[in-house]
Amino acid sequence: MLRAGSDPAPLPHPELLAAIPRLRRYARVLTGDASRADDLVQDTLARAWEKRKLWQAGTDLRAWLFTIMHNVYVNQLSVTRRDAANVSLDSEGATAAWQVPVRANQLDRVELLELVEQMGRLPADQREVLLLAAVEEMQYDEIAATLDVPMGTVMSRLSRARAKLRRLVDEPASPLRVVK
Amino acid sequence: MSASPVPFVDADLHAYADGQMSSERVRDLEAELAKNPELATRVADIRAQSAALRSALDPILSEPIPERLIAAARPPSRRDVMTRLARDYGPLFATAAALVIGIGIGWFGRTIELERQGMPVTFARQAAFTHALYAADVNRPVEVWANEEKRLVTWLTKRLGHQVQAPDLNPLGYSLVGGRLVAGNEKPTALFMYENADRQRLSLQVRWADSHVSDTAFRYAVENGVGVFYWIDDNCSYAISGNVDRAQLLAIARTVYGQLAVLDAAKPAPR
Repeated sequence: MLRAGSDPAPLPHPELLAAIPRLRRYARVLTGDASRADDLVQDTLARAWEKRKLWQAGTDLRAWLFTIMHNVYVNQLSVTRRDAANVSLDSEGATAAWQVPVRANQLDRVELLELVEQMGRLPADQREVLLLAAVEEMQYDEIAATLDVPMGTVMSRLSRARAKLRRLVDEPASPLRVVK
Repeated sequence: MSASPVPFVDADLHAYADGQMSSERVRDLEAELAKNPELATRVADIRAQSAALRSALDPILSEPIPERLIAAARPPSRRDVMTRLARDYGPLFATAAALVIGIGIGWFGRTIELERQGMPVTFARQAAFTHALYAADVNRPVEVWANEEKRLVTWLTKRLGHQVQAPDLNPLGYSLVGGRLVAGNEKPTALFMYENADRQRLSLQVRWADSHVSDTAFRYAVENGVGVFYWIDDNCSYAISGNVDRAQLLAIARTVYGQLAVLDAAKPAPR
């Protein structure tokens, strides 16, 4: 606060509010934990205001916020880890506990819970791409720009994520299950 | 074009299933799918999985949004914070103000006046940034840890050229983590970091005020999501910052203020 009134703040507040549910979902998929996810969203919003001058009106606010969230998350991982120099999301594996509400009236509630739980076992970088492509239905090139990776990386992560998730869901639960 | 079909790769199936394939390629692929049930099954599987993921994850979108996130989405503009403060926390500020000698009316007006002078609003902003920088540092939030509190206080006192104290916030559930010296605008600043059982961190920053600011009042600012209570007392600027709500931060600021006043009164006051 306490900025001069003439300070250009083109970041649209209503749209930022409207983006919160999607940010929360993305954060939940990244962290696998509702309260950590909301912390991440809060940090992301704070960062967005901090960087508001970099926002270009007319571009996709959701993608811009997703980029910030991704970066905040990666940075936080590097802070909490000793090997700060070399953190990547592919080493960030299964999430702790998935907290995703599944409505009671959904027909195959158990199957959906199982799906979400298995999704939590994918590496974070694959979860992310899967969420953005399959759930957010973003264009591949937008995803590449959001995560700052080449298109080919998006495609290979998406392909691996879908194949692995399918394997995980199809497999009968067994302690001897080999996860590649 | 369909006479010499380009072979389809895995990525094509995903692009098709996600509706991201160019229309020409779609025609060719659909022709191929009609002939190749194995390929068609893979596309159907991808689509079914995406639909299931949406069913599973869409309910998150309709969950109630916590107040703290709504607050974080608000523009950190002066007008907004001022109106919210005046609306929600008027009585609290009156209480806080009563603690301070020489408080008058026109709290907002003075803040703006002081901002024009480039003081101490800058201090609040700097305090918030500094807090955010070090509080987020899990392993090294401070230079000297609380187990060497005495050394810390001596060191900071020496560097500031002024007696500083680390208030005891244990009654409020915050214990001292330690402290460090940080760069101020013109003057070095002492930082004491505190942490509660939930690993919430607060920092108290102290530095000599510019002599021309004789005004003392509690002020509140939100900078980049960090709440800051700051005040000037006896030519010293104090800022307490943290990601806690205003009421809590105010309670902490009052405790700090009270303790420093007691400590000040107790010592011979060489200045």
